[in-house]
Amino acid sequence: MVAHLVRLKLTLLRNIFRRSRAQAIGAVVGIVYFAVLVAGLTVILATFRGSLDAGRVVIPLAGAAGIVLWTVVPLFSFGSDPTLDPGRFATFAVPHRDLTIGLVAAALVGLPAIASMVLSVGVVVAWSHTLASTLVAVVATAIGLLTAITTSRWVSAVMTQAISSRRGRDVIAVLGLLLLVVIGPAISAVANLGASLRDVATTAAVIVGWSPLGWAWAAPGDVAAGDLGTGLVRLVLAAGLLVVVFLLWSRVLRDEVDNPRAVSRSDSGTSSGDDLGLLARLPGTPLGAIAARVLTYWRRDPRYQISMVMTPIVPLALLIPFVTGDVAWTPLLMGPLVAFLLGWSEHNAVAYESDALWLHVVSGTSGRDDRRGRLLPDLLLATILVPGYVVVGVAVADRWDLLPAALGLSVSLLGAGYAVSSVMSVVLPYPVAESGESPFNAPPGAAGITIAAQSMASLGTLVLASPTILLAWWAWQGSVRADWGAAIVGVLLGIVVGIVGVGVGARLYEQRAPELLSALRRS
Amino acid sequence: MSDVTDLPAPQGDPTEGPAIALRGLGKRFGDLIAVKGIDLDVPRGSFFGLVGPNGAGKTTTLSMVTGLLRPDAGQAFVLGRDVWADPVATKRLIGVLPDGLKVFDRLTGLQLITYAGLLRGMPRELAAERAAELVAALGLTEAQGKLVVDYSAGMTKKVTLASALVHGPRVLVLDEPFEAVDPISAATIRRILSGFVESGGTVVLSSHVMDLVERICTHVAVISDGLVLAAGELDDVRGDRSLEERFVDLVGGSTEVVGLSWLRTSSD
Repeated sequence: MVAHLVRLKLTLLRNIFRRSRAQAIGAVVGIVYFAVLVAGLTVILATFRGSLDAGRVVIPLAGAAGIVLWTVVPLFSFGSDPTLDPGRFATFAVPHRDLTIGLVAAALVGLPAIASMVLSVGVVVAWSHTLASTLVAVVATAIGLLTAITTSRWVSAVMTQAISSRRGRDVIAVLGLLLLVVIGPAISAVANLGASLRDVATTAAVIVGWSPLGWAWAAPGDVAAGDLGTGLVRLVLAAGLLVVVFLLWSRVLRDEVDNPRAVSRSDSGTSSGDDLGLLARLPGTPLGAIAARVLTYWRRDPRYQISMVMTPIVPLALLIPFVTGDVAWTPLLMGPLVAFLLGWSEHNAVAYESDALWLHVVSGTSGRDDRRGRLLPDLLLATILVPGYVVVGVAVADRWDLLPAALGLSVSLLGAGYAVSSVMSVVLPYPVAESGESPFNAPPGAAGITIAAQSMASLGTLVLASPTILLAWWAWQGSVRADWGAAIVGVLLGIVVGIVGVGVGARLYEQRAPELLSALRRS
Repeated sequence: MSDVTDLPAPQGDPTEGPAIALRGLGKRFGDLIAVKGIDLDVPRGSFFGLVGPNGAGKTTTLSMVTGLLRPDAGQAFVLGRDVWADPVATKRLIGVLPDGLKVFDRLTGLQLITYAGLLRGMPRELAAERAAELVAALGLTEAQGKLVVDYSAGMTKKVTLASALVHGPRVLVLDEPFEAVDPISAATIRRILSGFVESGGTVVLSSHVMDLVERICTHVAVISDGLVLAAGELDDVRGDRSLEERFVDLVGGSTEVVGLSWLRTSSD
C-alpha cells in the first residue's frame, strides 16, 4: 500500500511534464532554477564545517525556519494538490496504518522534500567533525526532516477539515493574510537591528535550540563540541516530538477518513432571517442595489477582504524609506498611491463574480447602472482614504505647499483608474481564484494574461493621468504655478476622464454583455 | 401529483401569435455547430417541454432566447419582440432560470430574490414583499437568512426560480427546473407553474425526465444534435405510445446494454 501511494505520487510528478508544452517548459525552467538555488544553499551549509561556532548559530535557526516553512506553506496552498488529500481515500478500504505511513512517504518524494533532503546532506556534512557527531547528525537530521514533513501533512489535514465549512475556509484565508501582512514589518524590524544582528542571532539560536523547533538541529552541534550529554538529551526530545506529531497526524487522518465532510454546512446564520441588510439601506434602484450587493460582498468574501486590507496598508510602506533613510519625498506619494490602487483594483471586478453576472444580463441592467453601481462602494472608500492620506502624507513630509498638487494628482489617478477599469473589466476579464478557494490560489495557466492585463491597467491609468503627473512634477521642481495648475487640471481631468471612461465602459457593457458572460464562463 | 387532465387548456388568443418564435436560430462553438437552424413556435399559454439527449443543444437554444448567448444565425422573438434587436423591452417580459450558472451566493436567499427584483427596477417595498411571499411559497422560510452558498443544490434551484418570478414575467424560460429538487418541492413548483399558465402565462422548460414532461406539459419539442425532430401538442408528438418510446425512436439511440455480465452475478 505504501508503495502504491509513493507510485501514485511519482505519477503525479511525471504528469507535471505531460500538460501543454509551454507549461512543461515552465516547469523545467522552474525546477532547474530551484535546483541551482538548493545546490548553492547546500554548499553554503556544508562550509559551516570549517567553523563550529557559526554552525551552531546558523544551522538550528535554518532548521527551525525549515520546519516553520513546511508548516506554514499548507496554509496558503491548501487545496492546491488535493490528490493526496486524506479525504479522497475515504471511499477506498485502505488500512489506517498503511495510509498514515504511506501519505508521509508519498510526501517524501515530492520536489520540496527532495530539496530538503539535499539541504540536509549539507547539514550532515557541516556536523561531520567526529564519528559520534556524524552519527548523531544523520539520525537527528532525519528526525528533523520527518518532523517537518509530518507536521506539514498534519496541518494540511487540519486545513482540509476546516475548509469543509465555508466559515472555516474564510477564517483561514484571513488568518493567512494577516500573517502575510505581519511578516513584512517583522523582517524589516529584524533587518534594522543592524550591528547587533550577530548577538541577536546567537541568543536566538540558543533559545531556538531548546525549543521543539530546534532540538533535532542543535543536537549534533553539542556532540561535535564535545558535550555528548546535552546532545543526546536533545536527540531524545526530538525523537519524542516526532512521535507526538506522528500521533497527531494519525488521529486527524482517522477522523478525516472515517468521517469525511463531518463539519456541518449550516453555519452562516445572519442575525435575523428577514433582514435585507444593506439592500434595505441604499437607494432602492438598480444602481443602489448593485452598490449594496458589492458592499455586502466586501464583508462576506475573503477575496475582497484581501484587497480591502491591503489597499489602506500599502501606502504606509512609503513611510519606510522616510523613517529609515533621508528620503523626504516618499510620503507625498501616499495619497496618489492609494488613489491609484483604489481605481486600478476595479479593473477585473466582474471576473470575481464569475458567471453570476447572468442575473444582470437577463434583467436587462443598463450599462450605466452596472458600471456605476460597482464603482460606488470603491468611491465611498476613496472619499475617506484619499483626502486622509493626501493630508497625512503632506504633513509627514512637511511640504504643505505641495498639498494642491498632491490632491490634484490623486483625483486624476482615481478618475483615470475608474475609466480604465470600467472599460477593461468588460473587455478583458481574466481568471481569478474562484469564490471559496484559497484567495492565494492562482488559476493554472492564467499567469500570462494576468500580468498583461494588470500592466495594461497600470499603464493606461498613468497615461490618462499623464498631464497631471507632469504638472505635479514641475510643482515638485518648485513651480508655484504648476502647483495650482496640477490642482485645477488634476481635479477637472480626473472628473472628466472618469465620467467619460465610465460612459464608454457602460456602452461597451451594453454591446458586449453576452460575450462578457461567455468569457467569464470559459475562464 | 396532478394528472394531465387536471391541467387547464391553453389560454390566450392563439391569433395573437406565439409567445416565443425561433426562426433559423443557429450557434457555432469553434468546429462544433451546437444549434443547426431551429424553427420553433411556442404558443401563448402553453406549458412547453423541451426534451433531448445530453448535448442536444437545449441549453444553448434557451440561452439564445433569454439574451444570455448571442446567436450566430437567425432570430428569436418573445411576444413578437426581437430578443436581440430590442433586448431591454424583451427581457422585461421573461423570467429566466439558467442551468449550471453560479448565483450571487454571498447574499442570503431573501436578499438574492430582492436583489433580482431591484435589478428589474421594482420599488423596494414591492420587491421585498414579493420576495417574502416567494420564500414562503417555496418553503424556504427557515433558510431565508442563510447565505445561498450554504444552500443545498435543490434549495439553490428554488431560490433562483424565485428570482426569475419576482418581477411578474409573462413568459418563463426554465432550464432543468426540477433537477435536484425534492418531490415535495417539485410538486409545489409544478403547482406554481400551473397557476402561472392558468392565468395566461407561458412556460418553457427543458428536462431529461420524460415522465415529468408527459405529465405536466401541453406541448413538447424533441431536440437532438441541434435540430428539432418533432414539435407540437403532446398527443400529436407521442401518438399512441409513451413519450419515452417515441423519444428513443426519434433520437435513434440504442438502450440495449452490451457487456457488464459480471455486474449481474449478485448470487452471494
